[in-house]
Amino acid sequence: MTLDPRHAWIRQLATLALVLALWEAAGYAGWLNPLFAPPPSRIGSALHDLFSDGRIWPHLEATFTAALGGLILGIIVGIALGVLAALIPFIAELLEPVMTLLNAIPRVVLAPLFVIWLGVGISSKIALSFILVSVLIFFTVFTGIRQVDRRLVERITTLGGGRWALIRHVYLPSVAAWVLGNLKVAVGFAFTGACVGEFVAATRGLGYLLSFAQSTYNAALMFAIILIIMVVVLVIFSLSGRLEKYLMRWT
Amino acid sequence: MLRVRDVSLSYGGEPVLEGASLAVGDGQFVSLVGPSGSGKSSLLRVIIGLQTPIAGIVECSYRRSEIGILFQDDALLPWKTARENVALGLTLNGMDRRDAVAQADHWLGRLGLAGFEDRYPRRLSGGQRKRVALAQVLARKPKLILMDEPFASLDAIVRARVVADVVALVEQQKISVLLVTHDLEEALSLSDAVYLLSQGPRARITQEYNVPIPRPRDPVRSRLHPSFATLYEKLWSDLSREVGGEHAQPARDDAAEAA
Repeated sequence: MTLDPRHAWIRQLATLALVLALWEAAGYAGWLNPLFAPPPSRIGSALHDLFSDGRIWPHLEATFTAALGGLILGIIVGIALGVLAALIPFIAELLEPVMTLLNAIPRVVLAPLFVIWLGVGISSKIALSFILVSVLIFFTVFTGIRQVDRRLVERITTLGGGRWALIRHVYLPSVAAWVLGNLKVAVGFAFTGACVGEFVAATRGLGYLLSFAQSTYNAALMFAIILIIMVVVLVIFSLSGRLEKYLMRWT
Repeated sequence: MLRVRDVSLSYGGEPVLEGASLAVGDGQFVSLVGPSGSGKSSLLRVIIGLQTPIAGIVECSYRRSEIGILFQDDALLPWKTARENVALGLTLNGMDRRDAVAQADHWLGRLGLAGFEDRYPRRLSGGQRKRVALAQVLARKPKLILMDEPFASLDAIVRARVVADVVALVEQQKISVLLVTHDLEEALSLSDAVYLLSQGPRARITQEYNVPIPRPRDPVRSRLHPSFATLYEKLWSDLSREVGGEHAQPARDDAAEAA
């Protein structure tokens, strides 16, 4: 039997509906403890509550602000440091060991430190997102520039271009291509940083809500928040994909 | 006028060229042939300034902006359209962007690429990309073009067309050319003079052949000129001696392949 790839989404949706129906039925039959695995209807109800009384919005706003703030700052600083390190050997000597160390450790362990340094407000969450994203982007740009196509560099040189022309016409477009190629990973890192930061210590945010749901043993709320985070990240993935497709239309 | 005098080059202490000399007069088409790995491309890179020789000098009466370079790889910037790639060669030398775009469109049209100006290199065929690279070079109104096997990656028909375009344009504009090629037929059919580089290491120019085929030339018909076969045989024989191979005369295509 051959499957028509155009109808894959119908099969996927049908399978999801079946799993949800089985899950619901298992809950209804008493085979699953609702304390640990609440049925989909309970999760839907928790979601409805979150949106109907509007209390989700400040949390979404807090997480979005922290994640996007960390993402933008991380990309800017990661690119700047990556370019500097790739072009100036002295800066590479100083930065590479630090970045390698930061890359080697699970950077979320820095969350409590950022809370001590920057408080329980949004700054510590932005800082965690920033450190996760900037290290990723630094290595993307640093290694990317060192592996730039030498033929393009020679082409610009032989056309009479100097250092600035090389940066503008070869290095920056190459950097943009590498960064865009890693944008989806960076978005995931940024939300991880924001949520983990909120999970450690916060008064708002989806991570804070998760922590609250955990402390009150509210599995339905926890599933609802996980679902929201998944949808949010998927939407941003999709937007990143469109941006990448537009900016990389030459590929 | 380009004159290379006694150039020696080494890579990491390993000698590549030793005392290589050649000259390209104004409006002259000169080819450099030699065994694979003899250092033909290295000599060209020395002339371009991408390699520093350990001895010898390169004298050139043309300004940097008057020299065009065409490599085997077209090396077009993949994120710029055909028009932008051609215009870039002009704006880098100080031309106003609007004028550069007009010039780019003119040269792309002249090389049969009207309607392809907004295409990115990936959306062009190998022959079209080569023409864009050629437009990039010609738009700068060069007085000297240095070419390193620029047609090697093209199939036979596209290659014949691009070569015919190049010959017509360099004859028309009286541009001097130094062509590095492994193809003896191509060298003889296009050039006024051919230099033979010896087998490396320590490669040097061992022979110079003057090609008396009149201009303007048709690169295909010039192979039928009475002097062509004689020169070809001599060049092949000398090249065979350099690589230490048989002197038996192979078919022309085999000869070019083997060279």
